[in-house]
Amino acid sequence: MSAESVRPPLPPGDAATPTEEAASGAPTAPGSRPALLPSAIDPTVFDEGFLRQLERLLLVTKRPVRGGLKGVRRSTKRGISVEFADYRDYALGDDLRQLDWNIYARLERLFIKLFIEEEDVTVHLLLDASASMEIGTPGKLLFGKRAAAALAYVGLASYDRISLAVLQGRVARRFPAIRGKDRIFRVLADLSGVHGAPGPTDLAAAARHYAAQIHARGPLILISDLFDPGAEQAITELAGTRCEVVVLHVLAPDELDPPLAGDLRLLDVETGSGVDITADLATIEAYQRRLAAWQASLENLARRRRAAYVPVDTTLPLAELVFAELRRRGVVAD
Amino acid sequence: MPFVAPLALLGLLFVPLIIAFYLLKLRRDERRVSSTYLWSQLVHDVEANAPWQRLRRSLLLLLQLLLVIALALLAARPFLERPAGLARDLVLVIDASASMAATDELPTRLEAAKAKALAALDALPTDGKVSLIVAAETARVVANESTDRGRLARAIREIAQTSASGDLTDALKLAGKLAARARGAEVLLVTDAAIAKAPEVRIEAPIRVLTVGRDRANQAIAALAVRSDPSGVTRSVFLRVENYDTREALRRIEILADGTLIDTRELFLDPLSRADIVIDDLPVGTRVVEARLAGPAGTGGAVATGGPAGAEADRLALDDAAWAILPEARLRRILLVGEGNAYLQAALTLLPDVELYGATPADYPKTTGKELFDLVIFDGWLPSELPRKPILAIAPPGTSPLGAVVGTLRDPAIGELDPDEPLLDHVDLTTVHVAAARRITLPGWARTVIPGPGEAPLLYAGEREGLRTAVLAFDLHASDLPLQVAFPVLVANVTGELTGATAEPVGARPPGAPVELPLPPEATGLRVTLPDGKTVDVAPGASGAASVTFAQTSLLGVYRAEPILPPGASPSPGTTATPPPTASPTPSGSPGASPSPGVSPSLPPTPAGPILFAVDLFDPAESNIAPGNGAALEALGGTAAGPGAEAGTTRDEIWLPLLLLALLLLAIEWAVYERDGLLRLRRAARDRLAGLRTAAARGPRRGV
Repeated sequence: MSAESVRPPLPPGDAATPTEEAASGAPTAPGSRPALLPSAIDPTVFDEGFLRQLERLLLVTKRPVRGGLKGVRRSTKRGISVEFADYRDYALGDDLRQLDWNIYARLERLFIKLFIEEEDVTVHLLLDASASMEIGTPGKLLFGKRAAAALAYVGLASYDRISLAVLQGRVARRFPAIRGKDRIFRVLADLSGVHGAPGPTDLAAAARHYAAQIHARGPLILISDLFDPGAEQAITELAGTRCEVVVLHVLAPDELDPPLAGDLRLLDVETGSGVDITADLATIEAYQRRLAAWQASLENLARRRRAAYVPVDTTLPLAELVFAELRRRGVVAD
Repeated sequence: MPFVAPLALLGLLFVPLIIAFYLLKLRRDERRVSSTYLWSQLVHDVEANAPWQRLRRSLLLLLQLLLVIALALLAARPFLERPAGLARDLVLVIDASASMAATDELPTRLEAAKAKALAALDALPTDGKVSLIVAAETARVVANESTDRGRLARAIREIAQTSASGDLTDALKLAGKLAARARGAEVLLVTDAAIAKAPEVRIEAPIRVLTVGRDRANQAIAALAVRSDPSGVTRSVFLRVENYDTREALRRIEILADGTLIDTRELFLDPLSRADIVIDDLPVGTRVVEARLAGPAGTGGAVATGGPAGAEADRLALDDAAWAILPEARLRRILLVGEGNAYLQAALTLLPDVELYGATPADYPKTTGKELFDLVIFDGWLPSELPRKPILAIAPPGTSPLGAVVGTLRDPAIGELDPDEPLLDHVDLTTVHVAAARRITLPGWARTVIPGPGEAPLLYAGEREGLRTAVLAFDLHASDLPLQVAFPVLVANVTGELTGATAEPVGARPPGAPVELPLPPEATGLRVTLPDGKTVDVAPGASGAASVTFAQTSLLGVYRAEPILPPGASPSPGTTATPPPTASPTPSGSPGASPSPGVSPSLPPTPAGPILFAVDLFDPAESNIAPGNGAALEALGGTAAGPGAEAGTTRDEIWLPLLLLALLLLAIEWAVYERDGLLRLRRAARDRLAGLRTAAARGPRRGV
């Protein structure tokens, strides 16, 4: 599989990116790590103020999860934070510092105070990198990469573990999980090496593949256009992992309102299959009705699976996505 | 349904062609999309691409097929047949005389006549031939046996109104001759029949008359003349206004001298009456007198008393204006060279506007300024070299360029006179006797005015090398002519012609009549300015001609002719540089030679000034616009149709509904093709309207 085969359209501000990549000889094959290129970060998006704002955000976890390292998330474990959780009888060997002497004074019984443990969680970022994601203006893959980068930074800033994976073909290609705010450039480098995969993508199979690898539950954000017959199956698979699934449904404006007219043969960029249509206003309206019904069914499914469904179009500014749309949907919070 | 061009139905072959195109696979543009996942669910579109369903559903195809059928039918020219109402050979005569300009039919009678003629042509058989004659002062064939209806209709529409008078005689004669060429021909005459009496013509073909005109309300200027009083000092305008209406009319007459209003009169005209007006004291130097018939003061238009309220009382405007030209007061200088002739001096002196100079033959070579004279009279003597001036030679002593003297006539009798000879106008020579005369051979350039015995003329005149010349063959003392009343008249006529005084047309000309205009010797032609401001250059028919004929006098009004001078020629040569003539007074103290030697003439030599003449209608037959009876005209033609006049059929081509259908189909097809755009426009308009309504609903609330 050649990553160069399909390149996402670059926004005007990113014209320097391919040149710099070529100059640095950065490998672009998936899995290889390109050189860290802070200059490739869109300064209008990832400026200082934006990053500060991102730092204040937190990916919401509705239930406590069991994490690994110490973090800021409520864990199911009892630990040593300042937040009281419960009492239990003293057992031999317990730390005497945890005894509640006031209880002992009243009841003459020894109780150990238990506190809530705060641990990190693993934030799963799943980016659909099928060929269909490269169609549309502005590009869906680029939008998805930026959204993933922003969400990754939100997670890293709150001491969460970020697990980034790209869904292509029938598999989910995982990048090594990272933790710590200063690793954001690695995420960016990973993302910059992601390109659309030629050929069909089986989203359900890829999601299943990823779901099988999940060890630590946490927020799971799927960024995809969901143009796949198995999209609903994919959501179901991911919801079955008991992660808190957020589906970021990315569509380009020309998919919401196709600028088509006349007798056309539409070619599926993934499968190559064609559909003959006579595009007129009635056809476009029928398409839009069907699109709306499809989105409604996806949202319904997500609700049933306790997942959040966030439809966005690629003209939405990233800041608005993060600070308004995702906050409104309860995916992130201050 | 019959067709004119059934072969055009082959165009229906396009129908299967279009269907074949639709059945063939459509060449589609290919577009890459992210997924056809949703598109493939739009099942009905996919179904619509099945060929048979496309046929069923495609409104565009249906419209295109209908359009092709309509166009093929249109090209095949279907028609309906009906019996023709006119003969196969038709001579159409349209009256375009002045009375057809009456406005009782809107816009004019002529336009109504054209419309009637065009409508009548619908009844012409399919293969009918039409000859079109326009009748004005003469008859003119505009189209001859034309079968092209379009050209014919165009020719009818292009018939222009004339201001000429016409009595249809010529037109009916011509129509009769054209109709005689084919059996069963018919004459269709479209006229207002406003003629005093039926033309004296009889033709064999039947005449059908379509009459136009409803009203006879008209007042006209019937005459306009300027007369000098006996003293010759003042001039007065004589004007006659006629009311041809059977109702009374109140009109105002305006008299303009050179464009300036000098008098106005209110006229009350009884029905069918006339009024004569004399206006005295015309300003001195007036050249053009114009009379206008206008409405009474304060009304701005004609008012008919006793008529319907607001009705126009004057339907014909052509005869509401008339013009008269006054001859230019011009001083003519005449040099009389001879030993003294009291009769001649007396007759010349009596002529108005004449300055007479005298010289003896001995003084003649010394006389300067000969080129300033308008006429040189040699009495019994001729110089060796003749001056380049109009010459009157009396009893030339010998052979000269003026004529070869071959002998003497004794008691010559005066021959038969030409009654139309202008020089003999009002000249009675019945009691004149001549004792002796020169026998002169008539030169080639001259015409005999007074014939003598045999071929020898007693007086002849003509243009010799472009110079008017007259020769009297006998000495005045050798006849009793000077004692006759005819003598001063003859002298006036001869000097008038030789000095060009009478050449200028002063009397009104009828429209369309040719006008003879004098041509100054140095001019190469005349530039005539028409009343409408256009100019026409007229060149003489032959070099050296002293006059040109101008025939474009169809417009009423004042014409102005100016000589076209060759480059470098001055309009008045030598006016200031030449010294005054030094002719001596005539010998023996005769009374005619008034100026003393060396005295300059009081007026400069006559410049080659413009010549004015007026064209006026002055025709009661045209001014009387009462519509006549067509039956009188129809009676002039034959009654029975000829044996070859079988009833034809005429075709009504039904192209208009087919054309409208084709256009409608085209419009619908366009609308269907562009229905998306139209739908968007409608939605945008609806949204905008809703926005406006919202804004309007908000407006008052905000105000509260």
